[in-house]
Amino acid sequence: MTKKHLKLTDISKEGDVQLDEVNIDELIPLPPPYDKNEGLKQLTDDQKVRLVNNLDGFSALALPKPKDKAEENKYIGQFVAGLKKLLSKENNWTFLQPLLLSLDYCARCQTCSDACTVYTASGKKDIYRPTYRTEIFRRLINKYAKSGGKLRAALGAGNIEINWGTISRLYELSYRCTLCRRCAQICPLGVDNALITRELRKLFSQELGWAPKELHEKGTVLQLEVGSPTGMRPAVAIDNIEFLDEDFTESTGIKVATPWDKEGADVLLLHSAGDILSFPASVIAFTVLCNAAGISWTLSSEAPGYDGVNYGLFYDDIQLARIVTKHAQIARKLKVKKIVMGECGHEHKALITVADRLLIGDLNIPRQDAMSFLEDIVFSGKIKFDPSKNNFPVTLHDPCNVVRNLGIVEPQRRILRYLCPQFREMTPHGVDNYCCGGGGGLSVMSDVNFTDWKVNVSGRMKFIQILEAFADQPGPEVGKYLCAPCLNCKLQFKDMFKYYGAREKSGIICGGLAELIVNAMVDVKKPFITWDEE
Amino acid sequence: MNIFLVALTYFAYIFIILMYAVKVIKIARLPVHLRWELYPVISEPKGRYGSAYIEDEREWRKNHGKTVRKGIIYLLKENLKFSEYFKSNRWYWLVLFPWHIGFILIIVFHILCFFGALVMIAGNPVAADSVYILGKIFYYGILVCGVISFITGAFGSAGLIIKRLADRDLRAFATPQNYLNYVFTLVVFLSGIYAWIFADPTFYQYREFWRGVVTLNPVSVEPATAAHIILFDMFLIYLPFTRSMHYITKFFAFLWVRWDDRPNFRGSKVESDIKGLLDKPVSWSAPHIKSGRTWAEIVTEKKHDEKTP
Repeated sequence: MTKKHLKLTDISKEGDVQLDEVNIDELIPLPPPYDKNEGLKQLTDDQKVRLVNNLDGFSALALPKPKDKAEENKYIGQFVAGLKKLLSKENNWTFLQPLLLSLDYCARCQTCSDACTVYTASGKKDIYRPTYRTEIFRRLINKYAKSGGKLRAALGAGNIEINWGTISRLYELSYRCTLCRRCAQICPLGVDNALITRELRKLFSQELGWAPKELHEKGTVLQLEVGSPTGMRPAVAIDNIEFLDEDFTESTGIKVATPWDKEGADVLLLHSAGDILSFPASVIAFTVLCNAAGISWTLSSEAPGYDGVNYGLFYDDIQLARIVTKHAQIARKLKVKKIVMGECGHEHKALITVADRLLIGDLNIPRQDAMSFLEDIVFSGKIKFDPSKNNFPVTLHDPCNVVRNLGIVEPQRRILRYLCPQFREMTPHGVDNYCCGGGGGLSVMSDVNFTDWKVNVSGRMKFIQILEAFADQPGPEVGKYLCAPCLNCKLQFKDMFKYYGAREKSGIICGGLAELIVNAMVDVKKPFITWDEE
Repeated sequence: MNIFLVALTYFAYIFIILMYAVKVIKIARLPVHLRWELYPVISEPKGRYGSAYIEDEREWRKNHGKTVRKGIIYLLKENLKFSEYFKSNRWYWLVLFPWHIGFILIIVFHILCFFGALVMIAGNPVAADSVYILGKIFYYGILVCGVISFITGAFGSAGLIIKRLADRDLRAFATPQNYLNYVFTLVVFLSGIYAWIFADPTFYQYREFWRGVVTLNPVSVEPATAAHIILFDMFLIYLPFTRSMHYITKFFAFLWVRWDDRPNFRGSKVESDIKGLLDKPVSWSAPHIKSGRTWAEIVTEKKHDEKTP
């Protein structure tokens, strides 16, 4: 199959022309037994009529087609206005300096391309090159938002038109990046394509009001309104966790109870509510560990104090700031000494460092990552462990927002080296890790046929890497544990393992770090990790 | 002509210094931004393998003081070695490295010419047979830097033109200005080679020209040397209109963004800057923002019930 080469100006092709397509034969191959290619889910005829489908044959955003030319022109005008606002100190002080340093000084050397797992997995499709969308965006900024830009563009500095095709394709294309920042890490000039991609998403959200419904309407808006993107209200959160406490008490004989709204506690633990629903073992494991270690801790029942996610990090500074402010206000009200993150990567990045320059005065409460918190518990000497209870192959996935983007590398490894005799690293790992493929909010997005793209393209390199880590015992007869201390990563792996049948074919399950710790506790007689569940 | 060359040289140097200064000040005066580090942060003690202060809950809120020196040394070394390119883009490095070495050495060549002129004015001849060691050092320094600069620069310029034209991935992202830059630098370096071979094999004229620049007593040089001086001065004037600033902005991108690593302490300047920024008005138009208010008012409001259209 001949590789399709794209020009930068192709982005502005008029109409519904699809720029490229993903053929499974072009993707890098998977090892047996995953090498039997199945087709990718296509848009239905009805969807093709209703939805914009002019990029790669996938729809992450289900963007409806505009009714008429006037509507198109309205969006084009808003897009141009948004470009200018991105360069304004008032509207974009949050990222103006990093944005300009990345926009103005790229050498176009393409060194970053091979670092991108999406680009590599796709068989090096131009459309997924980290520089493709950012170079287009750069040229649009230069032409439409800077003085003399149109003249410079006409003289050959990159003349790309803004039309409906341009903005609708860029919108969809901004969600073909996981914001993992491997490309930024390899850039010798410090250019950050992921940051530019996020600025593009931000423009769409903050100016046009366009954002994936899973991130905005059913994400940050719902979280600020009722407490959680899961839709879980405070009373339901309390009910669910009480049920988990009772269930654990019944099955192990060890009485556990989760403290709620305990004023003056040392620690406010901020789980992701998605864990309560999808990975409840993680939540109860924290309860068991905090209680066993004698920590003074609490959960909050005030919305959104029981859900630490912050999808604003992926697409919108205002929503990001609103959520971190709410979390800090709740912690201040409870008079806790510090906030500790649950196992959620982007929550870590959002609340520990990004929020550091949004929270002022008494809102700037100390915040600790989950990994060092668990490390302190494990090595406190207050809990007895028997590592032989974890004598099965374990590998560690490094969530980008915990490791490359936050620098939390060793605590989780010290725990695994101590408690898991068969722990092995992936290659590469640590700050050089591969993204799970669901970063940047993609893991919670599953509209139309987007799940097929996530598991086949953005998650492909990771899936191969996991299989390689367990290559010494590839069959399903040996249970293998992928430790992924991040809710979004676990959701991506859940989709991926289900799609490929990894549990049945290779015996791999995915869970968090706290579960492995509880599984190794001498006092918990019954195995905490149940291999029969995902 | 002699006066013109001196005047042009003064103008070119003053112009480039002013333009670069304006650009640096503009970048430096941009508002403080949200933290967006990327690990490893070289200046942290455990930075080599990627770990952060944040790993240690007892340490991370302390003011460690930024060890900028380590970062600057790393970046300076990187500016000379291009090891990141060597590791990840070897073929590109093969032409990029000599091109940049050409630039670095041509700058060193001119700095040596300037100080060589001062040495000459002080009464020490700069020559191969000078009785003064300083005179010998400047003679050979200028000769070696000039020759290597012209040769590597010309090789790199020609190589980059070929590489960018031959490599489809690079060609697709190139603008006419990229090629103009390469051609311009190629002409500058070739003119240097031509002047060296056919007019000024020991750079005697060039050294005398610089003495004339410093003392404001212009001297006559051969046309080939004059052509090179004019081309180099034009190149200096052109540089601020290219992305050449990345040599400097790279330090900002690393030290102020990627390795920023400055906690916001209560009562600090960062906090006071943020307070001011939170009072800025917002004019984003999306319905969920309800603009026309300040950041602080928008962020701390109670209800957000707008839906995505």
